[in-house]
Amino acid sequence: MKLASAIVLVLVLVLGAVWWVSNRAPVEPLEVDHARLRLVPGGAPMAGYFELRNHLDVPVRLVAARSSAFGQVMIHRTVVERGSARMEHQSGGVLVAPGETVRFEPGGLHLMLMRPLQVLEVGDSVEVVLVLEGAEPAERSVRFTVIPVTSS
Amino acid sequence: MSLKRTVVVATVVLAALSACSDRSWRGKDISSLMPALEFELTSETGEAVTEQVFAGRPVAIYFGFTHCPDICPTTLAKLVAAVRQLPEPLARRMQLAFVSVDPDRDTPRRLADYTAAFSDRMLGLSGTQRQLRSLTRRYRITYGYEDAREDGSYDVSHSSAILVFGAGGEARLMLLDSLSVAEIAADLERLLSEAAENANRP
Repeated sequence: MKLASAIVLVLVLVLGAVWWVSNRAPVEPLEVDHARLRLVPGGAPMAGYFELRNHLDVPVRLVAARSSAFGQVMIHRTVVERGSARMEHQSGGVLVAPGETVRFEPGGLHLMLMRPLQVLEVGDSVEVVLVLEGAEPAERSVRFTVIPVTSS
Repeated sequence: MSLKRTVVVATVVLAALSACSDRSWRGKDISSLMPALEFELTSETGEAVTEQVFAGRPVAIYFGFTHCPDICPTTLAKLVAAVRQLPEPLARRMQLAFVSVDPDRDTPRRLADYTAAFSDRMLGLSGTQRQLRSLTRRYRITYGYEDAREDGSYDVSHSSAILVFGAGGEARLMLLDSLSVAEIAADLERLLSEAAENANRP
């Protein structure tokens, strides 16, 4: 009798553990967080910021980005040298090593989204397709939230 | 010297030292390095203006261009946030200006829309290449145009620092882009309170 209840208890625990593991959301191999786009008035280019985490065991390279809401999207980095600021086009893309996180943030790496094709407002969300080398699938659609020009 | 006395002396020295460090600027003091503010430009209203447009108020000036997606909005937003942290009535005295070094694209109208998005106390200015070169040379800063892309758009390199002038147009501070909002606010508050004290002196 005692043995039977022990077996039932073990079975319940094992089944419970299996159920818990199978219901946990799997970690995305490539995680994109905090995707936002800073609204600049007058149709000028805007900056897109986000964090890209690579949980894969191979390097991944962000090689391009595009959006149906903009005429062109480029990958840029702001460089400040001897008090002078300029933008550097990342023509080779941006490498994210296995286990690493690359941050696109104010004053550094950013997407430059040019020629807005629609009027955007704070709170809107815009779809941007990230093109990745080394990841499957090679294209990843991300929703960027439009934030005010005075925020980061 | 007794231990007690040593401790007291050490405390006094430390207090004096920390008071000294509190009095230092976060930005770079340019009072003796740069000349007073002087320019001829066109304001966002389309009028020809000089440094007199600031009517005896302290002003923080940033040089950039409106087609600059990253560093210009980032720096201007920091400056606006710093001014917002200042206590009244100090904050009300502070004037902000954005000088576009890209006059071909940045018309007065465009500048007015741009500065309004940041603050109603920010004045947009630009001018001819001759006027802009004369102003930037005066403060030993540079700007330049990069090669145009296929669609004709181009980037502009420009100074990353904010220049701050006192109420009489005297050069006071250069605030580098690496400073935080709190550091910018601390410098502006000190500058404005000093000016207020001097104004109250008989």
